[in-house]
Amino acid sequence: MKNMGKNMLPKTGIYRFREWRGLVDSAYDYAMWCRLWYKLIRWAVSHPVQNVKALFRYRWMFTYLTVPSFFDRCCEGFKGAALRAGRNNFMCLTDCVIDYLDTLFSADMELHPGSRKAMELNKRIICMDELVPAILTAGFPEAKSLLYQMIPVYLPSLINQHSTTHYISESELRGLPADVCPLPSFEAGVAIDDDYPKVGCCMLTCNMPCDGSIMTTAVQDRRHGLPTHPVNVPLRWLQDEVQDYAVEELLSAIRFLEEQTGMSYDWDKLREACENWNEEQKLKFEKWEFNRTKYPPHTGSSAWMYRIFEHQVVCVSPVALANDRKVNKILEKEVRKGNCKKDIRYRAVIWNTPSNNYANFNNWILNAWGIESVIEMIDIHGTELIDTSTRESMLLGVANMIQTSTMRAHTKGGYEVMVGDLWRRFDEFNCDFVILFDQISCKGVGAINGLFEESARKRGVKLCKVRQDLMEPTSISRRDMRADVNTFMSTVINAEPLDPTLIEFDDDESW
Amino acid sequence: MKDLKHIRFFEKLLESANNELVRQAKEEGRTAVGYSCYYVPEVLLNCGNAFSVRLSAPNTGSLDISQYYMTSFICGYVRALFERAFEGGFNFLDFYASSDTCQQMVRVVENLHELELVDNPRFDHGIIDAPLKISPHGMKLYTEQIRLRFIKPLEEKFGVDFSDASVREAVALHNELCGVFEELCELRKADNPVISPREFHIISIVSYVCPTYLILPYLKDTLRELKEREPDAVNPWRARVVVVGSELDDYAFSEILENNRCYVAADRYCFGTFPGRQRIILNDEEDAFTQVCRNYLETNQCPRFMSPEKIRERKEYVMALVKEYRADGIIYEQAKFCDFWGYERMLNTQIMREEYGVPTIGIDREYVVRGSGQLATRVQAFVESLEIKKIQEGGKGK
Repeated sequence: MKNMGKNMLPKTGIYRFREWRGLVDSAYDYAMWCRLWYKLIRWAVSHPVQNVKALFRYRWMFTYLTVPSFFDRCCEGFKGAALRAGRNNFMCLTDCVIDYLDTLFSADMELHPGSRKAMELNKRIICMDELVPAILTAGFPEAKSLLYQMIPVYLPSLINQHSTTHYISESELRGLPADVCPLPSFEAGVAIDDDYPKVGCCMLTCNMPCDGSIMTTAVQDRRHGLPTHPVNVPLRWLQDEVQDYAVEELLSAIRFLEEQTGMSYDWDKLREACENWNEEQKLKFEKWEFNRTKYPPHTGSSAWMYRIFEHQVVCVSPVALANDRKVNKILEKEVRKGNCKKDIRYRAVIWNTPSNNYANFNNWILNAWGIESVIEMIDIHGTELIDTSTRESMLLGVANMIQTSTMRAHTKGGYEVMVGDLWRRFDEFNCDFVILFDQISCKGVGAINGLFEESARKRGVKLCKVRQDLMEPTSISRRDMRADVNTFMSTVINAEPLDPTLIEFDDDESW
Repeated sequence: MKDLKHIRFFEKLLESANNELVRQAKEEGRTAVGYSCYYVPEVLLNCGNAFSVRLSAPNTGSLDISQYYMTSFICGYVRALFERAFEGGFNFLDFYASSDTCQQMVRVVENLHELELVDNPRFDHGIIDAPLKISPHGMKLYTEQIRLRFIKPLEEKFGVDFSDASVREAVALHNELCGVFEELCELRKADNPVISPREFHIISIVSYVCPTYLILPYLKDTLRELKEREPDAVNPWRARVVVVGSELDDYAFSEILENNRCYVAADRYCFGTFPGRQRIILNDEEDAFTQVCRNYLETNQCPRFMSPEKIRERKEYVMALVKEYRADGIIYEQAKFCDFWGYERMLNTQIMREEYGVPTIGIDREYVVRGSGQLATRVQAFVESLEIKKIQEGGKGK
């Protein structure tokens, strides 16, 4: 749809009426939107008291009320296979998050003080840092693992750009410097505000993805008070010499969990989980193959967000695997037909961590300028298959998967991982230029800023730097990010916008 | 008090990373090994014909070039090292022993390598992966990494002798140096000490940035002089503090405290005495290399150690210093943009005050602090608050 900007309510970026994508696609999109509401309402009424209590107990919970609008934003401009894949990914995500919320709130001692049922449930809940993939606990089939910050921190930061500001202020009011990465600062703020649900029998922390995250565990430890075991994931993960240590760390974590839960680790269940993950991986590799063609169908936040969630949370879930199969069928059909329903003028690789407070940035660059983000750094992690032939090989595979977790796969391991992989992907995906996120508080990447510029100059590749602050809209807004792209496109590329109504608008008050 | 005989010489040594003693050692054909983190065992870099230089960038001015290569949100120490390398200030280095302990620090050596900033054909570097907690397999990783990334290239390329006898000899030299510092620290325990914070800070830094075997005679001489030195007739100090925090090689920091009559009774920061200037006691059963590595891993007080027992230990370590050196308060200092100390400062300024009952302030600072009026004001206010506390408790302020 052209003139999308004219359809927006002032200052919100929210559409007056639903996007017109042609009869079939509009009907499909509307049906999926109705289905989403049905799922949400069904969930809300399944435990009405518990859910209402959670809504009033946790500030971040209000963010989840805006989920339908969030999914709409992330599917802006999508038609055909892209729309279907995006909507299916989000639907799968919804099912998994609903399941997560049910467990979280049923066990939450804040919502159920003194409840024996909740106490019993907590004995089987293992809390883990959100960067530790849940595959590690697949060997405890009786237990339920919860990624501690996923629901209160990570997802709200994507859904509502303003969800972070209160908590980050809480951290900064207590003396945390404003220059640290907003993700750990947000995590610390939730702990300071005592807004983590009181769940679990123990906690696995980790040193991922960065220095700020290492340090924020100390703040969280003081709040949850659970027996804690830190998992040290090697930093120079390309080296063979550190792999023994990585495996030993996993074994020590398993021993800790056995002690805390009183359960024995089931290696067969881990094998099943690894096989499930391998299938998911193969389907992901296939998606990348599709995107290498002239008709890249699986791009944008619905792809990378799903990938993160799959890698971290549902890597062991048959539900996610079934969704992958379904989505790949849809994508394959469109690629085979050579039928691209997007107006693509440029192919770009997007590098560095994306801006959570502007999750639909990919949609905007596509709709406004015709830039298709055929590949992006955040989508590339855990790229190996796990060898399930022996226990040792399986552990090595899981260790590798953890070492190459979200963000971590590039921000650690040496500058060559970050810079070298960019150019590899640039060539593989036949890109025209690079959009490099200048995430101002990411010190590890900021400190190699010059290496990106020098290497781009050497190759004669144009580099569009987009400032952002991960999930802190008060330092760099969505509008500022768009301004960086607009300047690059009009002055460096000398391009005309695809939709001029999308070039300048104010959405600061949007979720 | 009368000026110390060698203090001007020490100050001069701190004017350049490639100082007079470093040049002397190089002229003697020795291998200069730069480093910037406690995870890199200083003692091992002083084996055989090698000598260690803890890297600093004295007289740092503009950071424009490093700002382009590293952005403006990076720690000043890191940017200053990069800028100095860009200016050719580290061309004397033969080897850079680095650790992937801080995501900013490790980028210095990566930039140096990729941009070929050290104009020395022999130059090489090594980066270790180091654990964030103490465990048997962590110790194994640490020793293996040091052996592979530092020892091997230094042996093969520069012919440095890392035999057990050589390591023990380096430890003996280190212990001799630590002996001097033990006595210097004892002097700081007096009510009216004969060594000023500025002097101590200078002595501490020169011990890190100069070849140990060359600086040691001067330090011994200074210790002898201090033992005979008469303190000022009137005790000028209004408060005694322990300074805790990130890398600090600008002695102007201690000067600012001194000007506000605040005595630094103990220093627990990088380039400071705790840890780093304590003897390493070796046994004969185990090889010296492993014992040295274990010592550095176990005594490390870096905030990146994330296991609950190490988090607790760090606070208790500071508390022990407060008690031993009879400090009235604690100053947590953080180099701007340092993530580790940013969190540690936030947490511990509150914990030490509320749970340990010690008056504590947290401050952030630039790499170069000379002339920082803001810092002076904060220190002054803190000293006054400590004095008021003493008065309220029935003591006597100055």
